[in-house]
Amino acid sequence: MTRIAAERYTGASVRRSEDPRILTGSGRYVDDIKLPGMLHAAFVRSPLPHARVLSVDVSAARELPGVVAVYTGAEVEEMTVPGPDALSTLIGSAGPIPEFSLLATDKVRLVGDPVAIVVAESRYLAEDGCELVEVEYDDLPPVATASFALDPASPPLFANLGSNISRPHSRTEFGDVTATFDQADRVFDFHIDVHRHQNVPMEGRGSVASYDADSGLMTVYTATQSVQLSKIIVAMRLGLEQDKVRVIAGDIGGSFGLKIGASREELAAAAAARALGRPVKWVEDRGENLTVSGQAREESFDIRAAVSSEGDLLGLDVKMLIDTGSYPAMGGGVPDIIQAMLPGPYKLAALGFESTGVTTNKAPYVAYRGPWASETFVRERILDVIAKDLGLDPLEIRLRNVVPRTDPPAVMITGRPLVGITTRESLERVAEMVDIPAFRRRQAEARADGRYLGVGMATFIEAAPGPRAPGGPSGPMGLESMRLRLDEDGIVVLFTGQMPHGQSHQTTLAQVAADEFGVPFEQVRVVVGDTDVVPFGVTGGSRSATMTGGVALHGARQLKVKVLDFASHLMEVSAQDLQITEGNVWVRGDPDSAVPVTEIARRAADGEFGPDADADLEVVASFDGGEGGWSGGTHCAIVEVDAETGLVQVERYVVAEDCGALINPAVVEGQIRGGVAQGIGAVLLERSAYDQDANFQSATFMDYLMPTACDVPRIEIEHLETVPLDAHVNFRGVGEGGMIVAPPTVVNAIEDALAPFGVRIFEQHLPPARILELIAEADSGQ
Amino acid sequence: MTVDISLTVNGETRTGSPEARKTLADFLRDDLDLTGTHVGCEHGVCGACTVIIDGRPVRSCLMLAIQAAGSEVTTIEGLATDGGLNPLQQAMWDSHSFQCGFCTPGFVMQATAFLRDHPDGDEQQLREALSGNICRCTGYQSIIDGVLLAAERNRER
Repeated sequence: MTRIAAERYTGASVRRSEDPRILTGSGRYVDDIKLPGMLHAAFVRSPLPHARVLSVDVSAARELPGVVAVYTGAEVEEMTVPGPDALSTLIGSAGPIPEFSLLATDKVRLVGDPVAIVVAESRYLAEDGCELVEVEYDDLPPVATASFALDPASPPLFANLGSNISRPHSRTEFGDVTATFDQADRVFDFHIDVHRHQNVPMEGRGSVASYDADSGLMTVYTATQSVQLSKIIVAMRLGLEQDKVRVIAGDIGGSFGLKIGASREELAAAAAARALGRPVKWVEDRGENLTVSGQAREESFDIRAAVSSEGDLLGLDVKMLIDTGSYPAMGGGVPDIIQAMLPGPYKLAALGFESTGVTTNKAPYVAYRGPWASETFVRERILDVIAKDLGLDPLEIRLRNVVPRTDPPAVMITGRPLVGITTRESLERVAEMVDIPAFRRRQAEARADGRYLGVGMATFIEAAPGPRAPGGPSGPMGLESMRLRLDEDGIVVLFTGQMPHGQSHQTTLAQVAADEFGVPFEQVRVVVGDTDVVPFGVTGGSRSATMTGGVALHGARQLKVKVLDFASHLMEVSAQDLQITEGNVWVRGDPDSAVPVTEIARRAADGEFGPDADADLEVVASFDGGEGGWSGGTHCAIVEVDAETGLVQVERYVVAEDCGALINPAVVEGQIRGGVAQGIGAVLLERSAYDQDANFQSATFMDYLMPTACDVPRIEIEHLETVPLDAHVNFRGVGEGGMIVAPPTVVNAIEDALAPFGVRIFEQHLPPARILELIAEADSGQ
Repeated sequence: MTVDISLTVNGETRTGSPEARKTLADFLRDDLDLTGTHVGCEHGVCGACTVIIDGRPVRSCLMLAIQAAGSEVTTIEGLATDGGLNPLQQAMWDSHSFQCGFCTPGFVMQATAFLRDHPDGDEQQLREALSGNICRCTGYQSIIDGVLLAAERNRER
């Protein structure tokens, strides 16, 4: 639709303002930047997972024509400020902080660890130069598994830690765990593994750094989820004043949690740009992206579940082991979120939770869409197994355990109030959409023909933004700010610290502001991606719908007040009697009085009314999330498993979700479908594989299999009417939910399909070979 | 070693002297400043770099620039007319086909070839035709819907 027929843009699938440039090849991604005199960097990378670096000989590389400079890890240390990893310091880590250099100096800790940077006139020549760098290594025993990392005899990756424990063991109890288990009719024991997989945005990481020696200004063009956060880290590690760093981002080819802060490679390239006085570009290739950019989810859980004979889930006692990989990133903090979220929307009376994190010679554990997703996988998986043992239906056990919506709301045993959740409604709705009884009849007929169909459902809630803590001073996600101004050409300009990389903020925020201010959608412009003009902000954690949608709403109202105040001088009417609709300011009840906003803006810029009128038509607004609330929903999949080949086809996929009031339904549905596709890929295809010696095995798309248009079915989505909690802002985040709940949904369906074989599944990665093994193991009674 | 080549790109004769080892994708991007063609994997799996050469969709990361000498190449920049969107691009805009946009040029070029060869193709044929292009954002449904909408509009035209 070109013009929106509805009264309001908010709630309509307004076409994206990002698309004309993207569809015509005019988008501007970091690799599209070409600066005068620009050089290209490539990295010499370790072929070994764990080794001492004995020597690095760069002499031959330096002599290669076209190579401008080669810096070893030791030289890069002199060009930068040493210290702990800036990002893990900023986001906090539960354990001791490992000490390591920006590029490897004394040792390498994973295949692909960078040991030197080669800068040349082209990327081709830089890679030629890398071939000529001679590195002498002395092998160390690789730490390839979390269980070996726990062994005190395993060689520590980081000398200052003295072991491979990255997050020391801790245990917390909520409720009376002992009494709950004593009272239980049944206690179940499970061991569940979640496999390592990764973000894989279609555009890898990268940046172009440009240093102006005269002004001392470092400009970094990059792909990041937060330009301001990248700026802080660039300044820290390069030893620059914050005001001497400017970070700029254009279009970004996806991220899903990967592109936060500034990577080791980007910092080394920036240091080289400063040393050489010429711009330096580094854009990772797919091999680098798969090998070293980061991976996620390698976790295992030992779970005891206390259950009544009627199917009430009374308590859980969980031991979590997380493999945080080599260098610190997000992994150390994940167990805290998993602990908090494990009860989900259920009436759990007690939770014991203990966790340990270990370092291994694998890629760092980074944030990947719903980093805590394993809490949903574990909970939704065991519910199905318990239901089967007790002779209950998967829907029945969930409905039995889900908390009712009460006033005051039920509170999770880990502390947060479950205010306004619609889990029960979403469970009932997907069951209707799928028509489970009809499916069971079809399933029985198919089985008689030797075909194995299965249905599976799973439900989740996500703190996006989460409920306001009772009596809490501020909202659940801190503050989000925004600068808004009416430009002299009459455009309402929003400056946001959000850094969209596919989320459509330039459309959705404009929809909200257009409605609230009273101008056409086309008269709002959203400015992102330049630390000189945008406030602090991070796109992540499904925060932007509530936090930035909310600040756009309140900010536009504040700007409107200011504009009407100015207009009251011009129109000689009290501001209270003025309103703005469709781009015109007019006196209530007098359509003939309309003055275009563009004219107001121009006359303000002309300074027409002198000091009496505040003609600075700009506001800085902030929003604390208001009453907040939960996002959530239930997904249901129907799969067919070929018991001869092990192939799984997802035949149908149904979603009933609640993300509050929708800003743009097409954008919301795109987020859900994309997350589901990643979840289907995680279960059926994707695995970041290492061999027993920590050699990386999936560094190409022939080995790391991505879901295609033939693997992902149509995804049917229904939006549930939310429970409004806030008087103004009820948009809730939807970025991560699909990826959080799709893996248990698909695995539950596969187990249901394989019920005739007696297969029980306690893992997440189910490629054909594994399906055949599971059938064979069940057949042989293992 | 560089080689002098001449080829037709988006209807114009273009010349250059790429190194023999330079891929067509890098030549288009670096030498001709046609950065709409994106490089997503450099090993021919993801399809982001797809361009049309002498009528056939081709992965420009798997082809050397000098192999394209004398060919007729169409890139994403060659589709829109007078600053407007062509019917396929318009249908994809109307269908909210894309999110981050990085895979977009490859999908648009692959779909362009599909629509020309299979104006009445069904959804399954289309999914198979696009299964060599990877999108990480959308789950594909919106892309499929965009191409099918373009096909429907073409038939009505």
